[in-house]
Amino acid sequence: MSIDLTFIGQIVVFLTLVWLMKKHLYGPMNELMEARSRKIAEGLAAAEAGQDAKARAEAEVEKQLAKARRDAQAILSKAESRAAEINEEAVHKARSDAEQIIAAGKEEIEAAVERARQELRSEVASIALSAAEQIVQAELDAKRHTALIESIIEREYQQA
Amino acid sequence: MTEQGHESGIAGHLHYWTLHLSDSNPFLQIHLDTMLLTIVIAAAMVWFSKRLGAQLTSGAPTGAQNFVESIIEFVNQTVSDNFPSKNPLIAPLALTIFVFVFLCNTMDILPAFLMGHIASLFGIPHFRPVPTNDLNLPAAMAVSVFAMVLYYEFKLKPVHFCKELLFEPFTNLVPAPLKPIVMPINLILKIVEELAKPLSLAFRLFGNMFAGEVIFLLIAFLLLGGGTIGMISGFFVGLGWSMFHLFIGLLQAFIFMILTIVYLSIAHQAPEH
Repeated sequence: MSIDLTFIGQIVVFLTLVWLMKKHLYGPMNELMEARSRKIAEGLAAAEAGQDAKARAEAEVEKQLAKARRDAQAILSKAESRAAEINEEAVHKARSDAEQIIAAGKEEIEAAVERARQELRSEVASIALSAAEQIVQAELDAKRHTALIESIIEREYQQA
Repeated sequence: MTEQGHESGIAGHLHYWTLHLSDSNPFLQIHLDTMLLTIVIAAAMVWFSKRLGAQLTSGAPTGAQNFVESIIEFVNQTVSDNFPSKNPLIAPLALTIFVFVFLCNTMDILPAFLMGHIASLFGIPHFRPVPTNDLNLPAAMAVSVFAMVLYYEFKLKPVHFCKELLFEPFTNLVPAPLKPIVMPINLILKIVEELAKPLSLAFRLFGNMFAGEVIFLLIAFLLLGGGTIGMISGFFVGLGWSMFHLFIGLLQAFIFMILTIVYLSIAHQAPEH
């Protein structure tokens, strides 16, 4: 155990080693590690920003969906209401048309009945005339035959 | 010019391979084994650093890069925990001390007489395999650190440091007429306190590693001489001690590194008013 020139030599070796290790190992590796740490930090910040943007986008999508749902509901309600109105109008119109048709039908029927009555009257008259001719030809008893003619007319008329 | 030791026993294995430059002055000698091993270890570290530096990848690190990055991160964390100021030299200094001291200490796990026997094949009479067992290496590192501490003390707070040497703690406690008498005593005590830092730093490492080597030699002498049973038990006891000593070597490297950081941190601390 002695201190000698080795001590000087060891100081030289040690300080040279410190310098070389700083230059060749610590310096480059520390720089690299710091760059990587910065990159990771930036990546994490970007990921966090991405998460925030995603959350914001999801909130926006949710908001838009809610709005779209509300709009759709409103449109649906409006359409249902309009459909009900149209339905109501259609029913109304159909009823009105049916009434018109019925009225027209009745009028037509009445006209037909009237026409039939007219025809019947004229037919009855001609039958009466024909009957009168036959009666006149057979025996001319005005009183008796008049009653007969009226009864025939009455009967024919009721049958019509 | 090399020393040819002929002592036997443990003491015979504690000699250095020494180059004497002067017979009369004991300072003028060089421990060739210590120099050779430290240069080889330092060169290996630099070679590895340069080789690794050429293959660095900025992506996910693997293999050696991953391992070295974890060591650097550990050192950076230790420095940031204990060194509040900014100094780009502290972390590489701490890293170098930690790795260099650990590698030097790890040489101790080689079988006790192996290096000596190999050296003897080349006509070298003595060869100590652990550079940290030579006081010159721990002392050189401790003195280098101490020189840095003094440099930063005088650079960053010269007046405060001088005042501290002269007045803290005793001179400030006595009345003004007694201050000139107490001041030299205070200075001497402060110099002792400051010198104790590199001395304790050097002798802690040296003492631990030297004791470890002596225990290795004792185990080898006591058990290898006991026949087959002695050899087998010696192997296992030696293996156990090697594992423990590996841990001690790691611990000593860490202690040397952390004390270096702490001493330099104290030197960087701003004076309190």
